[in-house]
Amino acid sequence: MEDYIKKYLKKTSKLLESLPHKEIAKAINILQATYERDGKIYVFGNGGSLSMATHFVADFNKTVFSHHLDKNVRRFQAIRLPTTEEELTAWANDVSYDMVFAGPLKNYVRDGDTLIAISSSGNSPNIIKAVEVAKEYKIPIIGISGFDGGLLNQLADAKITVESEKGEYELVEGIHSVILHLITRYFKNYFDYLEEGNKQ
Amino acid sequence: MIIVRAPLRISFVGGGTDLPDFYHQYPGKVISATIDKYVYVVINPATLLKGISVRYAIVENVKHSKELKNDRIRESLLSLDIESGMEIGTFSHLPVGTGLGGSSAFTVSLIKGLSAFRGKRLDKKEIAEAACKIEIDVLKEPIGKQDQYATALGGFNIFQFNPDESVDIEPILLDYKKRIDLEKHMLIFFTGITRQASSVLSEQKSNIENKMETLKSMTELVEIFRTKLLSGDFEALGELLHKNWLKKKELASKVSNKTIDNLYDAGIKTGAWGGKVLGAGGGGCILFLVPLAKKDEIRKAMERESKQWKLDDFKEIPIKFVQSGVEIVSNSYFN
Repeated sequence: MEDYIKKYLKKTSKLLESLPHKEIAKAINILQATYERDGKIYVFGNGGSLSMATHFVADFNKTVFSHHLDKNVRRFQAIRLPTTEEELTAWANDVSYDMVFAGPLKNYVRDGDTLIAISSSGNSPNIIKAVEVAKEYKIPIIGISGFDGGLLNQLADAKITVESEKGEYELVEGIHSVILHLITRYFKNYFDYLEEGNKQ
Repeated sequence: MIIVRAPLRISFVGGGTDLPDFYHQYPGKVISATIDKYVYVVINPATLLKGISVRYAIVENVKHSKELKNDRIRESLLSLDIESGMEIGTFSHLPVGTGLGGSSAFTVSLIKGLSAFRGKRLDKKEIAEAACKIEIDVLKEPIGKQDQYATALGGFNIFQFNPDESVDIEPILLDYKKRIDLEKHMLIFFTGITRQASSVLSEQKSNIENKMETLKSMTELVEIFRTKLLSGDFEALGELLHKNWLKKKELASKVSNKTIDNLYDAGIKTGAWGGKVLGAGGGGCILFLVPLAKKDEIRKAMERESKQWKLDDFKEIPIKFVQSGVEIVSNSYFN
C-alpha cells in the first residue's frame, strides 16, 4: 500500500517541479491588469474542473479582497460561468451542450474582462467554444490544462499546462488546484502588502 | 458615449533605438513600464451634429473631419471613414510634452474608442500598429514606435524593433513586492519645461548614421537592466540609467541643456544612484533612482535648484506602475 502511495506522490511532485513558472506569472499579470481596469474574471470547466472553478471563485472573492472592502472603491471579482445551474441546463437542453459556457459568456462579457478556462484535456468542445468567444472579443485567456494542453493551450494567452500522460486526470486536477490556490494567495499577499505600505 | 484611457510610460533604457533609421539597420530594443497617469479620450456620437466637434487645448468645429487641424484626430477619423456627427474630447493627468509618451497614449486611446464605436474589436498589438501607421507613416512624425506599443500593451515590457518592421514583445514578469519597492526607490520631477519630442528627435534622426555604435551599446543595456530589475538591485538600475543618460546626451544637442544638466547634477550630488530625463529630452520629467534614506534630501535639493532656475511649474510627480494598457473605461453606446 505504501508503495502505491509513494508512487502517486512521486508522480505528483514531478509534475509540480515541471510547471511553467513563466506562464503562471503571465496569468498573474493578466489578472493584475484586469483588476486595474475594473474587469471581471470568468472561470469555468467540466466536472471536477467546474468544482475547482467554483472553489477558486469562493476563495478568491472571500480572501483576496475581503479585508480591504471598506478602504477601496475598486472591486475585484471572480465569477463562475454560468452563475446558475439553471442557465447551464437550459443551454444544454435548448441549444446544445457545447454552448453551456459560450452562450452565457456572450451575455456576461465586456471589454476588459478575463477568462480562466480549466480543462485537463484542453479539448472539451464546450470549453473551446467559450474560448473562441473570448478570442473574438479580444479578451485575455488563461488556459489551465493537462496532458499535451490540447487546443486550449494553443489558444490561451497564458498557457499553464501540467504536461502529463494522457488520462492522468487525478494527478492533473490535483496540481490545477495548487495553481489556483497560488494565484489566490498571490493577490491576498499583494493587497496586504499594499495595506502595510499605506499604514507607514 | 465611449470613454477610453491609455497609460503614460517611463522608458528606462534603449530609447532612440526605436527610430526606423536605426532599427532598419540593427534591431532596436527598449525597456519601459506604464504608470498610473492616463490620457482619456471621450467619444460622443451626436446624430444631429452637422460635422465634427473636437475639444482639446482648443475647440475645433468643422463640417467634415478632413478639415480638422488636429492631425491625429483627423487621420484617425478618416482611417475609419467617420466624416461627421461626432464630438471628441480629451483629458489628461499631465500636460503634453512631459516625456511620458502622452501623444501616443492619445492616438492609441482614440483608435480604441473609434474602433469600439465602429463595432471593430482590435487586440492591443493591432491598436499599437494602427497608431504607428497614423503617426509615422501618414503624419511623417520623426518619432519611434516604442510609445504606441508601451501604452497599448501596458506593464513592464522589452520591445524589440526588427528591420522588417515586426515588433517582439517580451513582458517582464515582476512580482508585486519588487514592483512596489521599485516605486519606493524612484523620484520623478516635472522640470516645468515642456517641449515637442519631434524637435529633439528630428536632430537625433539626422545624426543616426554617426551614432550607430552608441545606439547599439544602448540596446545592450536593456538586457542588463532586465536582469537587475528581476533581482531587485535598484542601485545597479540607477547606475544603468546614468550610463544610458550619458549616451543619450551624445545623440543630439537638444537632448539636454544647462538647466537640465544642473537639475540632474543636483540630484546626483545629493546621493541619487542615477537617473535620466524621460522621453526625447530637452525638458519634460527627470527620473532618479535613490536610496530610501536620501529621498527627502534629494527632494529638497531639487526644489532649491528649480527655484534658482525660476522653474515655476517644477513639481514632484508621485507614480505607481500599472499593468493594464489601453482600456475602455465606460461604453454606454449601444445600437
